[in-house]
Amino acid sequence: LAGPPSPPGQDPHGWRVPVDCVRANELCAAEPSCSSRYRTLRQCLAGRDRNTMLANKECQAALEVLQESPLYDCRCKRGMKKELQCLQIYWSIHLGLTEGEEFYEASPYEPVTSRLSDIFRHASIVSGMDPATNSKSNHCLDAAKACNLNDNCKRLRSGYISTCSKEISASEHCNRRKCHKALRQFFDRVPSEYTYRLLFCSCKDHACAERRRQTIVPSCSYEDKEKPNCLDLRNTCRMDHLCRSRLADFHANCQASFQSLTSCPGDNYQACLGSYAGLIAGFDMTPNYVDASTTSITISPWCSCKGSGNLEEECEKFLRDFTENPCLRNAIQAFGNGTDVNLSP
Amino acid sequence: AAFGLYFPRKEYSENVYIDQPAGTPLLRIHALRDSHGEVAHFHLCQNLIISRARSHENNWFQIREKTGLFYLSKSLDREDFNMLSVGNWMPLSKVMLYVFLSSHPFQEKECDSAIRTTVFLSLINATAPACSSLTARQLCFTEMDLSFHIKENKPPGTFHQLQLPSVHHLCQNLSISYKLLAADHMPFRYNENTTGVSVTQRLDREERERYELIVKCTVREGFREMQVEVPFLVNVLDEDDSPPFLPNGTDTADAVVEFNRKEGTVLATLTVYDADTTPIYPLESSRKKYTGTIITDDPWISETFRVEHIFDEIHFSPNGSQVRGTQHEYKLVLNKSISVTEHRSFQLDVLVNDTEFHGPERSVMLHFNVSILPVSIQFPNTTYQFTVNRNAERFAQIGKICIENCMKFRGVNITYKLLSPNVSCYAVSVLQGREDKYGSLYVNDSSVLRRPECKEIQYTIQAVDKQSRKHTKTLLTIVLEGTLLKNEVDCPDSCAVSKHRAECEECGGLGVLTGRCQWRQGSGKGITTNYSTCTPSIKTCPDGTCDVIESKDPSVCPQDCTSGNIIGGHGKGFGNLGIRSGHGICYCFPRQNCYCEKDDIKEQLCDDVCKTVI
Repeated sequence: LAGPPSPPGQDPHGWRVPVDCVRANELCAAEPSCSSRYRTLRQCLAGRDRNTMLANKECQAALEVLQESPLYDCRCKRGMKKELQCLQIYWSIHLGLTEGEEFYEASPYEPVTSRLSDIFRHASIVSGMDPATNSKSNHCLDAAKACNLNDNCKRLRSGYISTCSKEISASEHCNRRKCHKALRQFFDRVPSEYTYRLLFCSCKDHACAERRRQTIVPSCSYEDKEKPNCLDLRNTCRMDHLCRSRLADFHANCQASFQSLTSCPGDNYQACLGSYAGLIAGFDMTPNYVDASTTSITISPWCSCKGSGNLEEECEKFLRDFTENPCLRNAIQAFGNGTDVNLSP
Repeated sequence: AAFGLYFPRKEYSENVYIDQPAGTPLLRIHALRDSHGEVAHFHLCQNLIISRARSHENNWFQIREKTGLFYLSKSLDREDFNMLSVGNWMPLSKVMLYVFLSSHPFQEKECDSAIRTTVFLSLINATAPACSSLTARQLCFTEMDLSFHIKENKPPGTFHQLQLPSVHHLCQNLSISYKLLAADHMPFRYNENTTGVSVTQRLDREERERYELIVKCTVREGFREMQVEVPFLVNVLDEDDSPPFLPNGTDTADAVVEFNRKEGTVLATLTVYDADTTPIYPLESSRKKYTGTIITDDPWISETFRVEHIFDEIHFSPNGSQVRGTQHEYKLVLNKSISVTEHRSFQLDVLVNDTEFHGPERSVMLHFNVSILPVSIQFPNTTYQFTVNRNAERFAQIGKICIENCMKFRGVNITYKLLSPNVSCYAVSVLQGREDKYGSLYVNDSSVLRRPECKEIQYTIQAVDKQSRKHTKTLLTIVLEGTLLKNEVDCPDSCAVSKHRAECEECGGLGVLTGRCQWRQGSGKGITTNYSTCTPSIKTCPDGTCDVIESKDPSVCPQDCTSGNIIGGHGKGFGNLGIRSGHGICYCFPRQNCYCEKDDIKEQLCDDVCKTVI
């Protein structure tokens, strides 16, 4: 058996520091033994059955070799160049190795290390005002003003708004696919100090909360004629590499945990808000505020658990990660209040 | 069909610490039976899944084949921990194992059975904690919810053990006892000696599908006493054990085909109920489980009709508690358009079959009384007569022609034609939109209208049904009236160009009926559909649709038809055509831009009321 093409880096804890999958693919391609095993494994996985694959000696050998290659632990970065290509490489290895019926999947994205407080610092420089003050003002309106004062934010915001509100015909309200694409561009290319302020502004009255609900033009990007079953929606999402990755990332960063003060994994609000925004950026799994309530924040994708049959428990568990998720709720409120958890170093 | 043995939980979880001794029990797994006499055998797959893709051979964990006790067979030292943590870059390392179930002793590595449950082990990078440092919650329960599923109609049995084997092993001098609250009149029993919870009788989902109990745990240590309560949930899983039935006994519906003869038309709907649930995901397999078939030998019937099946979740309340059931709808749908000459009546039977129900009443028969009536293609009795002003311009809309009930028709393709008269006064034509059921008469040659010798023109109109070739004719008389107006000089081609009322009303333009354009005075409030504009005819322009005549020439009604830029406050129409709403006055230069703006020269008349207000 040949060794890995290049020794993976080590971080101070002795863990391998993952390279991105595009780079890992290049490293593997440069090494004949790695690239041939990778090809073999991909052929093995095309059958998509883990057990059949493991039963095959050749596949097993390929897997063992690749376990030592950088391809195995590779990850992708949000909004990186060639993000889609990176995710394709990631799932080409991982897709067949999981059973496809796991409730939570591991995120192909690198963990987020920045914190909310970094955004606050940035945002106050950008807007010249502290989001924590001005308790009487309409924060969502302020956020729209701040966006309009920035050329890039203004351009991409009016871009998605006009795409999402363009009527096609009496029967077709708008072009949903184009609307999603425009939203994705907005959330990928505009810095989060602008996008988060629009998305997570805190509200004291109905008009403000309605503005917040309307941020993503829900009549086009969110609502649909019928509400599908949430498990059906999840299945559709998992057939798309990008949607699948963003959903896995949401689960990794917003999954409520009993082990932390804030209910968020690693007490990292920024990571949860980031993966929430990543999920909005244009798929059928797009979540939104369900109403313009000022007192309680309820988030949900456009689906219900009606018609779940024997899987109702699983469906409700999936839906609750949006509707009754203390981590997500705390993160949104913390952003609105301009507070972050103080972590002792 | 027998399900066989099954696990009442999908997942189990426990913590594992460094250097815990071999033999430490970790958790207890239970199985429930499908039939009496079945014996459960547990088996662990020797593959430890670390993070998603990475796996390692399992050297540390074992399960007792008969009892389901999951235990540590070899102590995990720090080196093992480090190895298993690679690839797990979260502070908390988790590993996963599958436990399989069989009714016979396991022969060999059988890792591919469908019946399995998952054990999640959190690897804690520390030695086992002292019992005194654990909270009551940690001593009594794991982090996972106490939530179980039990299949209906299956024999009773024990499905959970409340006591945590790891805690019991570690903290032997603590007294930990449990109580199952709210269990009165519920089919569950708690055994204090074994701390096992069992279901005492066969459950029926159609009676109740969810049981919510509470477990109270009491920890005593010397004189100290701590209590924790957590919910204990049992969901009852459904199987197909109810036959279909008809609401109110209705099994017959009338289906009449008359004016609407188009493919895809829903003629009638009959409903069938079932107390069982039907998952809508995956949709196709559920459709196959509940079939609806047209019973017929007649190839014409099977070609012409189809049955569409949709279903939806509904709620029944058998005895106070709500349970889910299914409403199936069977729609009789035209599979192809039916000719206007077709005339038949018959009964069409549809057999609905609940294929997974194993009883004698698995099917019901639905009856549709189908009547296909012929429709006649004929004009209303009277002949058509229209009056046209001699000053009308090209593309002026004169009127509509329509056979009897034409607006009700669907799936019938009627075309209208004018048969040329033998005289030279041929001034009007007929046009029909792609989906239009009527023909629109318009001025095709305005110079003819001006000729004094043309006074009354007679045409024959013909309407033809495309499919049956059936046709009908009637007479159309066009009467010319009015005296010729002198044309203003410097008037534009298009009414829409005029920005003011005065210039609008003194000019003509393409499409005008009486030689002059018409002014529409809007409400003037914000961006409104009722904006001010100059148009050839208020009746047809702007009306929000770019009709077949307006679309012949961009000068006729750009307000409905423009696809160019609109400058100023506005809202576009459907398909980005026309100005649906505008601010102030909207005017257009055909083939160029349109503008919507407030008129800056105010000519507001101030009447007495207005003066007193000031």
